[in-house]
Parts: sequence; structure tokens; C-alpha cells
Amino acid sequence: MAPMTDSGGAHETLSERKRRFEQLVLPHLDAAFNLARWLTRNDHDAEDVVQEAMLRAFRFLDGLRGEAKPWLLAIVRNSCFTWLQVNRPAELSGFDDRSVDLHLVDESSPEALALRQCDRRMLNEALAALSAQFREALILRELEDLSYKDIARITDVPIGTVMSRLARGRRLLAESLRAISNASQVHK
Amino acid sequence: MTREEAARLLHAYVDGELDAAKSLELEAHLAGNPAARATCERLREMSAVIRDRADYHAAPASLATRLRASVPAAPEGAARRVAWPGWLKPAAAFAAVALLTWGVAILSLRPGEDERIAQETLASHVRATLGNRLIDVASSDQHTVKPWLSARLAFSPPVADVSAHGFELRGGRLDYVGGQSVAVLVYQRRQHVIDVFVWPASAQKAQQALSRNGFNIEGFARGGMSYWLVSDLNRNELGDFARLLAAAP
Repeated sequence: MAPMTDSGGAHETLSERKRRFEQLVLPHLDAAFNLARWLTRNDHDAEDVVQEAMLRAFRFLDGLRGEAKPWLLAIVRNSCFTWLQVNRPAELSGFDDRSVDLHLVDESSPEALALRQCDRRMLNEALAALSAQFREALILRELEDLSYKDIARITDVPIGTVMSRLARGRRLLAESLRAISNASQVHK
Repeated sequence: MTREEAARLLHAYVDGELDAAKSLELEAHLAGNPAARATCERLREMSAVIRDRADYHAAPASLATRLRASVPAAPEGAARRVAWPGWLKPAAAFAAVALLTWGVAILSLRPGEDERIAQETLASHVRATLGNRLIDVASSDQHTVKPWLSARLAFSPPVADVSAHGFELRGGRLDYVGGQSVAVLVYQRRQHVIDVFVWPASAQKAQQALSRNGFNIEGFARGGMSYWLVSDLNRNELGDFARLLAAAP
């Protein structure tokens, strides 16, 4: 029990800590798993990473200030990136935030059409094909409804970077959807 | 505003992250620029498509079990709700309702009272989601949920069908909030569960929004009923939902 009670003079008993963990942190288990599953792209790996991250969250519960969800997701995100660095380093290499191209797209463009026609499978495929940094920004924004401020905190970048990653991620997603829909039309 | 600046700010605008001054500036730009307006629409569309069609991977039950084993549950009694002796329950509920109809106008004006109710409803919501005892009567049919609740309470809670707006009814349960038995209607929007706590109130009350521990809470009273909504759904949509309920016949 000793390693779990080193709360730095807060004199929190183990059962108090467990209760706090169950009330504040565990309710966000689905969000934790969703993020890890999207980053590892595999159920089994996501389970391992989330379990490890939750135990870390339990150990560092004293560091929880403010809202629990972004705090927990920052821990999960860290665990995911550490895991990716060890197991799939190629997925993290070559990513560059600086080359952000933003131009307005014509409404009648093929991307607009592909977006309207895409089904569930195509969309999931296109999202999974984005690099991890774009993928996590979109997942946190669209599936977890988090603010730019929270996303910045979780992914450890300035808010401006969150903004440009979302912009570029959406642009790449649209292009990728068009490519997938072209490919599936060829097969028809 | 230049085209480049507009393009840069458009995402923040669509995401509701732009401050009022910049929003007005951008809206002025959009008014005179159909291409930018179309892009704005397309961004909204993409956001809706992702929310609607991307997989949400909820944690498998086995993971929650494994976690509880590694972080064992707190000893019984630590977080449990007050256990009333069986015979006292109806009496307490009746007394609470009687007390409430008598003094609710004064009570509901006390600021401390709202905070206490917010805490209690939030605790109930978290307990229910954690313990998987979210629903006592599972049905998407308001005509099944309402009689079930009415038969077990001293009042009949209004159960609105707002599925046309994307809020699906999943069922209801009974709970105990503010010293009385209350109805809890369970709705769902995408992967978010929304608990709507309902009990009788004599005074009307304007809608108010709170945020606690990462959950959003909306409270209001109308038509003789007090409503408290608790969810991890974002503030805007929960606010919209509260307005829908308030406007329901």
C-alpha cells in the first residue's frame, strides 16, 4: 500500500483517493478509450494503453486541478504517443506543423461532393489515414466536444497550433475522402 | 479583413471559438463573399458528418472490470446514498412533496439550494453511469416511460418526445434528490447520455447553466415542474435541449 499513499502531506486515505478517482476520473473512461483507440487504431493496444494511463492517473490524482476530463485525456494522449514512439515510430516521423496551406475551396469542388456522399466506412478510413496529430485534434474536437483550450492542454501545443491543425486536418480529410470515393467508384 | 485572415478564422468561427468582435468582423466579410460563405457551410457540413458517422469507441466492459480490479472499489458506505428503511420511503416522499408545495417559492430562491441540487443531481448521474443502473424502465416510447414513473411517484412527470431534434428517449429511473423521490428521464444524443431530473415545483424559474467537474448542468422550472439536466454533452446543445423541453407541450 505504501507507494499509493504518498500524497505529499495531504493525508488522503487510500479509500478516499479511490472514491475521488471513481467520482472524477472513471466517468471519462469512454473518452479515454475513444482517444486511445483512434490513436493506436487497434482495440487490444488501446486497452493496454488506457489501463496503464488510468493507473498513472490514479497515482498522480493529487496533480488534478480543474476539470478531470482534459486532465485525464492529457495523460492518455501522452501514453499513446510514448507507445507509438516505441511500437510505430514511422507514424510519428516527418510531421511538420509549419507547412500549413489554407485556401478557400470552391463549393462545387469534388471534395464537397465526396463529403456529402461518404458513408461510415469511408469516413472512418479517411480519418484513420490522417497523421496522428491531425487525427487527435479532430477526434477531440468533433467526438469529444472539447474547446480549443482543452485540446491545446491535452496535446501540449499552443492554441494557434490547435487551430491550424484542425484547419489542415479538415482539408486533408476532404482530400482523402475524395481519393477513397474515386477508388471505390473504380471498383464498382 | 483579407481573404487569408478570413480563411484562417473560419474554422474558429464554425467551432464557436471566435470572440464577439472577431465574429462580427468575419460575418461582415462573409456577407460580401459568397465563396467564403459556401466554405463556411461546407465546414459545418464536415463537422456534422464526422459527429454523425465517425465511430465512437466506447470502452469495453472488460476494461472497466479490469480497472476496478486494479483499483479496488472504496469500502461500502463511503459513496453510497442514504439508505432509507423501506417503510420510511413513501412517508418521506410524501412529506417532502408536501413541504415542497408549501415552501418551494422561498426555497428555490436561495442560491445555496441550487448548488446543492446541482451537486446531488450530478452525483446521481455519475453513480448511474458508473454503476450501469442508468435505466429502470428502458423504452424509447414516452407512453411507456410516463405511466411507469407515474405509478411509482406522487406526481406525473411530463415526458417529451424530441427525437425529431436528435435527442432520443432511452428510458427512465427513480432517484432521490433534495430530500424527495424524483423522476429521471434518460435521453441520448450521439454517445452522450443526458439525465433529466423532474419533480414538482410551484414557482417558475428562468433557465440557468452551470458547469461542474466537466459536466454541464441546466436547471429551470415551468408548468409546475422543476427540471435539472445533467450531461457531458457540450453546453450549447444541452442549452438547446433545455429550451426544447421548456417549449414542449
